[in-house]
Amino acid sequence: MKKNHIQKISRFYRNAGRMPIYSELMEIFNFKSRNAVFKLIKKLVSEEYLRKDEKGKITPGRLFNSVKILGLVEAGFPSAAEEELIDTITLDEFLIKNKEATYMLKVKGDSMIDAGIMPGDLLLVERRSEAKDGEIVITEIDNKWTVKYLRKNSKTIYLEPANKRYKPIYPKEELKIAAVVIAVIRKY
Amino acid sequence: MENTDQPLILSYYPRAIMHIDGDAFFASCEQSRNPALKGKPVITGKERGIAASLSYEAKEKGVKRGMRLSEIKETCPNVIMLPSDYETYSLLSKRFFTIVRRYTPDVEEYSIDECFADLTGLQRPLNMTYLQIAEKIQKDLEIELGFTFSIGLSLNKVMAKIGSKWKKPAGLTEIPGRFMHLYLQKKLINEVWGIGYQTSAFLNKWGIKTALDFAKKKEEWVKNNLIKPIYEIWQELNGKYIFKLTVEEKHNYQSIQKMKTFTPPSNNKNFIFSQLSKNIENACMKARRYKLAAKAIIIFLRTQNFMDTGYEIKLSRPTSFPNEILPAVSPIFDKIFQRNCQYRSTGAILLKLEEDKEIQLDLFTDPLKLEKLKKLYQSVDLIREKYGKHTLHLGASFFANHNPQHIKERSTPLERHQHLLKGETPRKHLNIPMFMGVVE
Repeated sequence: MKKNHIQKISRFYRNAGRMPIYSELMEIFNFKSRNAVFKLIKKLVSEEYLRKDEKGKITPGRLFNSVKILGLVEAGFPSAAEEELIDTITLDEFLIKNKEATYMLKVKGDSMIDAGIMPGDLLLVERRSEAKDGEIVITEIDNKWTVKYLRKNSKTIYLEPANKRYKPIYPKEELKIAAVVIAVIRKY
Repeated sequence: MENTDQPLILSYYPRAIMHIDGDAFFASCEQSRNPALKGKPVITGKERGIAASLSYEAKEKGVKRGMRLSEIKETCPNVIMLPSDYETYSLLSKRFFTIVRRYTPDVEEYSIDECFADLTGLQRPLNMTYLQIAEKIQKDLEIELGFTFSIGLSLNKVMAKIGSKWKKPAGLTEIPGRFMHLYLQKKLINEVWGIGYQTSAFLNKWGIKTALDFAKKKEEWVKNNLIKPIYEIWQELNGKYIFKLTVEEKHNYQSIQKMKTFTPPSNNKNFIFSQLSKNIENACMKARRYKLAAKAIIIFLRTQNFMDTGYEIKLSRPTSFPNEILPAVSPIFDKIFQRNCQYRSTGAILLKLEEDKEIQLDLFTDPLKLEKLKKLYQSVDLIREKYGKHTLHLGASFFANHNPQHIKERSTPLERHQHLLKGETPRKHLNIPMFMGVVE
């Protein structure tokens, strides 16, 4: 019987989001008198299923099965650094987007010197078949790799060096792009 | 024979299995990174004295796999011979598998240059047909790795293998169940994956010439006359899915093999033993890395005339320490080494590998000594990890470690290693493949 009462109060609490007042308790228990309700509440309070606040209103006690403590283990404060580091990326992740398509090559000439690409620099490139106007691309010309700006508009497509001493290259056949430069690495 | 127009099964793809095969993989790795090699006959394997992989241009000129360098030069004088750069090939092989895994987790890394992949059930989630998925994978591979792959798409491994061989290079052959018979009638029985010389000779005696002839044989007959693996192939040729894919990434080795060739051939006993010892050390190092221990080891010596002598040696308990293996190997080496022979390579295979948990001691092992060995090799491995693979080695391996493996013409060092980057050491390199040749 007691269990039944507790269930009814819990159900009300879940539905209404607050504890019932006495008149409502009369209704849900189907009691004829307020006194009967009062007695029942007193019993439930003594068994700690319910509590009464300073104004005499009832609040939930053990009404809802709470988690039991099984044991205590002492622990230090969690290190804030650990969590902060979740949002950092490694240099690899910073430089490389598509790992499977990324290659390196070492620059030998000075044709891209005004773009900040010096002889001996290491380029990180991504193999791709398409590139946009203005990207620095790797293409194959006369059995050699070449690094140049890609220039293209609706009419022409050509390769532009970043050094006044070199002339732009207008490909005779179809221009096949091997890769696009994604970073320059210079280690001192 | 019966009517060959009749389909073997009616459905198209009860399962969708793909076999992907790199076209002239090693040679293609070389050509893709150096435009100077494109369109030219290229072979790799110079350091071994034979052609390990050949570009399609070299194949056209009549060069064959396994040919010796002198023969190759005769057949094709303008051939470009390169030493194998296994490090780069392995990096590209890993990328190959990773790209395929973008589409399906069920990938079997069959060897360095081929894999099987199961696409079953992926048509709807990827919103592509099986053929379109295969095309997409093929395109990704070509763009991102820079060379071509051939793909067979069918309903099991045996059929997928037939597909990938059907058209090479850069082929994509789909063989749905309903059309299997059309391909099988054009395939000779000895060309089927897993059917060896003996079996095909036997089948020929029964009038079986093509794969279709075999597939149409009665089940009872196949069961009674052939061993189980061949019966399983028969089932696959009839559209069943028997050979499952092994989809774990490879890190469980059944055996670990280390073999090295050296030139010129030698009959210096100490030098040859040091070569063997170095192989054993390397094999043990790999075993320790995967936390494995071997219960047996095979050692073998190969003479200049390609005659092999080998011995399997059982060990009293599983181990991965060369200090324990060498004393067992040394008397056997004495037995097989012949003073009047010129040797060209040595090798060691660790067998019966088991997980190296708590090694069970045999009656005669001193536990303290074993504990010491363990600690010793933990330090050895740490030092090697930090300073390179061969900073520390056994005295027995001294000659092999302090002499170049190849003297004279074959000892061309790898181009990749001639231009080390700042911070790289001869043994440790950045794990990103490099483009080679002139960059302007």
